Amino acid sequence: MESTAAGLRKNGDQPPVVQYDGVVKRFGSLTVLNGVSARVNKGEVVCLIGPSGSGKSTLLRCTNALEIADGGRVVFEGQPLPKTEGELRHVRQRMGMVFQNFELFPHMTALENVAVGPITILGANPAEARAKAQMLLEKVGLGAKGGNHPSALSGGQQQRVAIARALAMDPDVMLFDEPTSALDPETIGEVLNVMKRLAEEGMTMVVVTHEMSFARRVANWILVFDEGRVIEEGPPAQIFDAPTHARTQSFLSHLGWNG
Amino acid sequence: MDFDFSPIVDNWGFLAQGLLITIELSVATIVAATLVGIALGLGRVYGPGWLRVPLTFYVDSMRAIPVLVVLVWTFFAFPLVTGITLPPFWAALAALTLHISAFVSEILRAGLNSIRPGQVRAARALGMSGAQIVRKILFPQAVVRMLPAYGSLLSVTIKDTAIASVIAVPDLMRQSETIAAQNYAPIEVFTTAMLAYFLILFPVTRAVEAFYRRVAHLGRS
Ligand SMILES: Nc1ncnc2c1ncn2[C@@H]1O[C@H](COP(=O)(O)OP(=O)(O)O)[C@@H](O)[C@H]1O
Ligand SMILES: [Mg+2]
Repeated sequence: MESTAAGLRKNGDQPPVVQYDGVVKRFGSLTVLNGVSARVNKGEVVCLIGPSGSGKSTLLRCTNALEIADGGRVVFEGQPLPKTEGELRHVRQRMGMVFQNFELFPHMTALENVAVGPITILGANPAEARAKAQMLLEKVGLGAKGGNHPSALSGGQQQRVAIARALAMDPDVMLFDEPTSALDPETIGEVLNVMKRLAEEGMTMVVVTHEMSFARRVANWILVFDEGRVIEEGPPAQIFDAPTHARTQSFLSHLGWNG
Repeated sequence: MDFDFSPIVDNWGFLAQGLLITIELSVATIVAATLVGIALGLGRVYGPGWLRVPLTFYVDSMRAIPVLVVLVWTFFAFPLVTGITLPPFWAALAALTLHISAFVSEILRAGLNSIRPGQVRAARALGMSGAQIVRKILFPQAVVRMLPAYGSLLSVTIKDTAIASVIAVPDLMRQSETIAAQNYAPIEVFTTAMLAYFLILFPVTRAVEAFYRRVAHLGRS
């Protein structure tokens, strides 16, 4: 199975950027991840789909060690995640994360939000960091909004700033946790377009999403979650057109997906 | 009933000196209590466990003891215990700072704890350290969120300085008492004192409110 999967997958012949080996995560007596194994190759867009509460966000948070797995391991660029907080910070600096609720810093302008990581964490020259932040804002279509505080931006604009903030750290992988779930329908498209362009540029992306048409068009690989496990994985065509697992079929039909 | 405001006119310089002392004591107390209160609040929320217990005890006791008792103790009992006598102004500043800083720390603590966890998550995901998160992300937002409660505390502080008259600090209250007694004009003199306190307090509280309205969005995550 592994060998066929490797052959099917983009850059499957190269070492993965992220690999999950039997990841287990418990909160008290609740087992939220029950042995998740999967890989994310360089330049791939891997979409995590599945019902709410199935552990998708928890897997993302275990990836950049916002949560620490209780069992199994997460391997990032060939190295299992380190143990000390200081080392973990360095790993997090190389992974960008985008949240459902944007989580922009409200006391900073859009430009400051994008520049704060490089300046504070990497000790970048402030003038250079701001110039780069301006460039990233232009890249997400918000070149004129750098002086605005988040309170003066729409949801879709805030999320695009959040993407620019993550990109400012030059991450090797971007983690998206339902980036459009809190958005008005009119602004979902502008965020998905930015993500699509990022994928086309070759960014490695792990995306938790309920936007099935985005997953269908942009993802290279789909992981279907249910009750803390990956119950099915494959390329989008297979998952959406010919799902084999009954739970996948019922999940997709629940969302009104009809192939 | 006849009112005679001439004692105020005749002694306006004496009363103005008192007003100046009231303002000095208020400003000094506000600066000192804010700095001490910030240190206390940060220590209580982010400090090591062994530090949190005594800080919590300190804050809780200051909230339970009347400020007048703290003042009188500082002026009359503290010198007997330590051999160090504080001049009245400094004793008042110390007692008011001890008392008000506890409230500043509580307001800061509430502000810090009200920021939603997603903000910390976002900062950690960028790769910030704990100290960077507090300094760059949480503290600035907490300061904005504290403003309304801090504004109320400012007016409480200015009003509380009047108790310094008990230990003979020559503030507005004390000078007014002297003039009122000398001239037997309590109505005129104390009414004037009330008006003076009001004229200081009213713009201060209004200014803080107006400032908060302008910056509130900076603390809203
Ligand atoms: N910090 C936590 N403490 C306790 N339970 C949690 C915590 N985070 C998530 N959970 C639980 O773990 C389960 C999976 O959550 P999550 O990973 O957010 O699922 P999904 O993203 O697929 O909706 C849910 O039942 C959720 O309530
Ligand atoms: Mg989730």
